[in-house]
Amino acid sequence: MSRYIQFAVIRFKSKTAYRFDYFLGILNTLLSFVVYYSIYKALYSGQSYIDGVSFSMVTTSFLISLGLGSAFHKNEMFLQDKIKQGTIANELLKPVNFKLRMLFEDAGEGAFNVVFNFLPTAVIAALFAHLSTPSGALDLILCIASVMLGYIVLWQISFIVQSLSFWLFSVWGLVTIKNVLINIFAGAYIPMWFMPERIRSILHFTPFDSIYFMPVQLYLGQLNEMQVALGFAKQLVWIAVLYVIGEVCWRCGIKRLVVQGG
Amino acid sequence: MSSENMIEVSGLCKTFKIQKRAQGFIGALKNVFYPEHELKKAVNDVSFSIKEGEMVGFIGPNGAGKSTTVKMLSGILCPDSGQITVAGYTPHKQRKEYVANIGVVFGQKSQLSWDLSPLDSYEVIKHIYRIPDKLYKENLERYTELLGLGGFISQPVRQLSLGQRMRADIAAALLHSPKIVFFDEPTIGIDVVGKDKIRSFIKTLNKTDNITMIFTTHDMQDIEQTCERLIIIDDGKKLYDGSLDNVRKGYVSTRIIEAEFERLPVLLNIPKTEVAEAGGDPHKRIVTFNTDEIATGEVMAALMDTHNIKDISIKEPGIDAVIRDIYLGKIVIG
Repeated sequence: MSRYIQFAVIRFKSKTAYRFDYFLGILNTLLSFVVYYSIYKALYSGQSYIDGVSFSMVTTSFLISLGLGSAFHKNEMFLQDKIKQGTIANELLKPVNFKLRMLFEDAGEGAFNVVFNFLPTAVIAALFAHLSTPSGALDLILCIASVMLGYIVLWQISFIVQSLSFWLFSVWGLVTIKNVLINIFAGAYIPMWFMPERIRSILHFTPFDSIYFMPVQLYLGQLNEMQVALGFAKQLVWIAVLYVIGEVCWRCGIKRLVVQGG
Repeated sequence: MSSENMIEVSGLCKTFKIQKRAQGFIGALKNVFYPEHELKKAVNDVSFSIKEGEMVGFIGPNGAGKSTTVKMLSGILCPDSGQITVAGYTPHKQRKEYVANIGVVFGQKSQLSWDLSPLDSYEVIKHIYRIPDKLYKENLERYTELLGLGGFISQPVRQLSLGQRMRADIAAALLHSPKIVFFDEPTIGIDVVGKDKIRSFIKTLNKTDNITMIFTTHDMQDIEQTCERLIIIDDGKKLYDGSLDNVRKGYVSTRIIEAEFERLPVLLNIPKTEVAEAGGDPHKRIVTFNTDEIATGEVMAALMDTHNIKDISIKEPGIDAVIRDIYLGKIVIG
């Protein structure tokens, strides 16, 4: 495992080289937060609850989604670029598991984003917005565990879409569509609370609501023991399912790989 | 692993699907809706075996299938059919375990990080391959000296010249002391001095460490100075597999005389020689003959008896000429 952690460390280090990026990143995250905050402030217009959801719950939900958005980093063009330029040859010559290596590199960048991007934003946001505190220590731990599993779910979806580059060579369009769909279905744009009941019950069977929404619910302590257990079980099942799909895509893809150039 | 065959390849085939691109606007539309494909056999039933510590030159014209073969040998590409066994592994099936035993240098693809210095990249490689500290230090010192990396080892790779980068890349591929090394055009685009450094380094390493090596190139000098055995591939098929000397042998007795005559017309009719015009100049002729059949003196005498000669030179055909003739199908060896 130590060599995979090395990939994460290198990624983290090389990110620190671009300081301007880092300041802009904070500004970007803060701006998104302010926009959502203002919209929902207007919607609530003085009411303390809508559909039983308080304004501070919504704000907290946004902040967590934003934080997860920056923590859940994935270099979506990684595979496509490597295949297009033929540098995948060098990657395959390394005695490491390609997928794990990719995952750790992304996680390294995600860690950078959380430390240098999300945390400063969260501190600034806490100054002017009223945020909910975690409902308990256990809830916080469960929330973090759920975040990690959620990341693996999200990352694997990304990997599956990326692995289509073995056939399509360019997956930018697919990646963009995928991200919009995930952000909607996972409740990153509109919290699940406000979704129509019928859609919510359908989404409940998809991997999407375990990405952003489950951590939010855990943080706010909204789930009973049964729901927590079911939620984790669902995340694990989806991780297994997506793993199998990803593995099939990768194995079929690598067989038809054509190393470009030279 | 017996010391007999390090690399064994039999009946290797690889076919690529190539998209045919129609031209023009209508053609572009056609490409989107009805793409046409064509199958190209990049490697077609190639077999060979290489012993431990052997150094084999792999040559062939562009598109002959050399690189494809090397990529299959290094486990990057899956063969369509045929068997490959290298050091007891089946490369594409046991990729992760296998590649820890080999080193690969692609002249056209660097494995060094663009923004980092070679030294930084080496540190990463050290972790990825789990190279013990002692071995890493020894190798690094040795390669730094032999390849002359000292002057630029701490500069970002993007600031290096092609020759420097190439040498840094070679060291990177060898840090983990692999048993087998594949060089895919390591001297491409490099100046004479740089090429010499690389060649002598490769040769030294092959001799002292008994590393098995495959070397693809277009530069026959690379082969002449490093390899004893030669495999020639063209159009996906193996044309020749044997000693370099054998290729030379057929040609050591061949001589080429280039002569410029003072007056026209030039009429030459010397038995057992071939006469050709040179570069469209009516005053010049190229005479090719075999010294086993006719002595050089006789040919010279025949030339001077009949014409006034302004300039004359005698040459041995280089290995380049031999290879050119093999590619063009003029001669068949092996």
